Amino acid sequence: MMKALLMTATTLNGRGLAPVAAMLFAGATAALVPGTVLFLAVPPAAAQQMDHAAHMMHGMDGGWRMPPMDPNMPMIPGLEMALPPVEPFLAAAGIDVMTLPEARPSEVVHLEAGDTFNVDITIVRRTLRGHTAAMYGYNGQYPGPLIQAPQGSTVVVRVTNRIESPTTVHWHGLRLENRFDGVETLTQDPIEVGESFTYELHVPDAGVFWYHPHMREDVQQDLGLYGNLLVSSPDPDYYGPAHREEMLVLDDILMDDQGFIPWGREAPTHALMGRFGNVMLVNGVTGHGLQVRPGEVVRFLMTNVANSRTFNVTFGSARVKLVASDLSRFERETWVSSVVIAPAERYVVDVVFPEEGEVAIANTIQAINHFRGEFYPHVDTLALVTVVGSPVADEMTEAYEMLRGIEAVAAEAEAMRGHLGRAPDYTLEATVRVRGLPLPIIRSMEMDTLYIPPMEWNDAMPMMNWLSSGTQVTWILRDLATGHENDGIHWTFQRGDLVKIRIFNSPESFHPMNHPIHVHGQRFVVLARDDVPNDNLVWKDTAILPVGSTMDILVEMSNPGDWMLHCHIAEHLSAGMMFHFTVEG
Amino acid sequence: MRMTGSRRPGGFLALTAVLVVAAPVRNAEGGWRLADSPAEVAGGVVVCGAFDGAVAAPRDGVQPRLDLRGPVRPGPEYYRFPMVSTKRVPGTGNASGVGEVSFSSSPYGIALGTDGSYRYDFTVRFERMGPARDGTYVVWTTTPELDRIALAGELTDPASFSGEVAWNKFLVVVTLEPAFDPDATMWTGPIVIRGMSRSGMMHTMAGHGPFEEKNCAAYGYE
Repeated sequence: MMKALLMTATTLNGRGLAPVAAMLFAGATAALVPGTVLFLAVPPAAAQQMDHAAHMMHGMDGGWRMPPMDPNMPMIPGLEMALPPVEPFLAAAGIDVMTLPEARPSEVVHLEAGDTFNVDITIVRRTLRGHTAAMYGYNGQYPGPLIQAPQGSTVVVRVTNRIESPTTVHWHGLRLENRFDGVETLTQDPIEVGESFTYELHVPDAGVFWYHPHMREDVQQDLGLYGNLLVSSPDPDYYGPAHREEMLVLDDILMDDQGFIPWGREAPTHALMGRFGNVMLVNGVTGHGLQVRPGEVVRFLMTNVANSRTFNVTFGSARVKLVASDLSRFERETWVSSVVIAPAERYVVDVVFPEEGEVAIANTIQAINHFRGEFYPHVDTLALVTVVGSPVADEMTEAYEMLRGIEAVAAEAEAMRGHLGRAPDYTLEATVRVRGLPLPIIRSMEMDTLYIPPMEWNDAMPMMNWLSSGTQVTWILRDLATGHENDGIHWTFQRGDLVKIRIFNSPESFHPMNHPIHVHGQRFVVLARDDVPNDNLVWKDTAILPVGSTMDILVEMSNPGDWMLHCHIAEHLSAGMMFHFTVEG
Repeated sequence: MRMTGSRRPGGFLALTAVLVVAAPVRNAEGGWRLADSPAEVAGGVVVCGAFDGAVAAPRDGVQPRLDLRGPVRPGPEYYRFPMVSTKRVPGTGNASGVGEVSFSSSPYGIALGTDGSYRYDFTVRFERMGPARDGTYVVWTTTPELDRIALAGELTDPASFSGEVAWNKFLVVVTLEPAFDPDATMWTGPIVIRGMSRSGMMHTMAGHGPFEEKNCAAYGYE
């Protein structure tokens, strides 16, 4: 079929495909028929039969290997031999992986106020999809230990770095003392190899929190450094009744038939869209499963720890009750058909599986095939629920049918809504700047921006994305009042301020993309999106911003210190999309 | 039960070839016939090529007053699209319009259906839509392939209409019907005006090839 393709190209203009492509990428589009692009005009049947063997001609010696590509997508001419402009990195290179301790599943650690817990960050041996490789682990576990602490307590975690790079631990969502926020250079020095740092964690809010590195998250977090911290409320009715609780830690990792695709050593690869994985992990493993009885109320505590992927999690035909998110319960529980969860977000849902059988918890999306310009349904099973046994029909099942209103949250929300009508205190624009990208990427991206999807649910351009590094791509948060960008922004507030920030995700850029916006050390509500008021508020620390949309958040500046605001796509963060602000008092 | 994979629909070319479209259009004699292709339904819409955000001038050279960049209602401005008259229904030749989408209400900020498709609220606003003669205007939504059609409602306000749609790519179609039938599954009368969602432009890589005879960037405006 490739021969047929080349013949087609030759027939059309008397030259081969490659020269035509080269002409195109040199900017000679005017020589082609207006409105058409020759190299893109491959009939779908031809595209389907292309293989990507040529992509593997480099990197077989342990260097770069190109990420696997959908065989339906053709290779972009001019990029066949291209490599990211950074060195490849794999964990524990040169070490016999079989000498490493095998990682083990996460363990639950109950801490009371004042307790101290030691966490060693180590290199571990993991086997995924039949490939054994080095990864990282908190106390050698995947995910890291599930730390449980009572609301209002302060617990101590002493972290020792035994991996090969400096690191820190960020306690995501906690309104804790600033010096323990775990941000390199801003709140602490890196924990060098062999050194330790002691974190004192005050936990004022009940909910699902998590911890991860705040240095090269794109590498360290992807290699397994993530874990949950559950803060329990003293109120036994904080959540509605449920028969059981299950953690669902969602992740993906990028592999080929040789193992992990290397990461960038000096800077991230995949700087445009973030590093999407092609192997789905739940609680650190593929093929996660659980067994429940019909009618059981199962509470899923969900966390997205992926670098870039936003999941749309479906539970078959089971009813799903949305209960809580990052730092609080919703004003009102609601029935939902799925859970859309962006990187770093958390959601709590109650699910009842009424009938015996198997139910797939799945990521159900409309993926994009840019080559053919179409959406197509794509489903990845994340976990299998086996529903078996005698049905449960008790007071918990009955209570499940009721949607609760949470008065405490509603009262706070009502006060927040008083700020709906006023102008934002600050307006940020999200955009991107590129330099030095290969010309074929620039040309292809320019042609592909007639329509930008609000969300990127899959890596629809794996080659171009892989080749873009943090040295070429700068993701930007721009203060529209001052023009300052990223770390050039510095806002100062007083403790107790309620600050309204409008964030606009501009579609007018080289490659617009959705951004999960994360605020450290404080909590906020999403007051409105696209000027439409939010009628069911919940306290958040991370919220997704689709392309072309405007999000108004009201941040309660309750916690003094120097704090970050950034995009939680790991590669976007490394590519500059962050700044810090100060809360005084 | 484990599911991992994709269900790929056929390519644009194949779909175009196999679909029999039941959309009425004016025939050469001034009567009505069924459209030959989805492109004929969408023909007056900017479905590919450069789009500068403004409604192009209709054939009579009168500039429409609706500005795609102007405020119509709150929403992501980017996802606006022009509504273009077929010029085939008396009194609507100079009609124009703007369509907008915003996400339906959702706790996440992004509204999705169970298959992962976006759920949108859409609003279309019209100008110079003459009153319906011999019937009423009815609004429909359909996929670009016309394989799925949904009745959106009767256009009782000639200036605007709001509805919902749960497809990632869609057209809004206004037809002239003898009467409004809330149970109708397909239009029977001529298309008055239509517009394609901005996502319809996402076909640059393979949707159009060098074999197209028309300059798609000027499609419908020539």
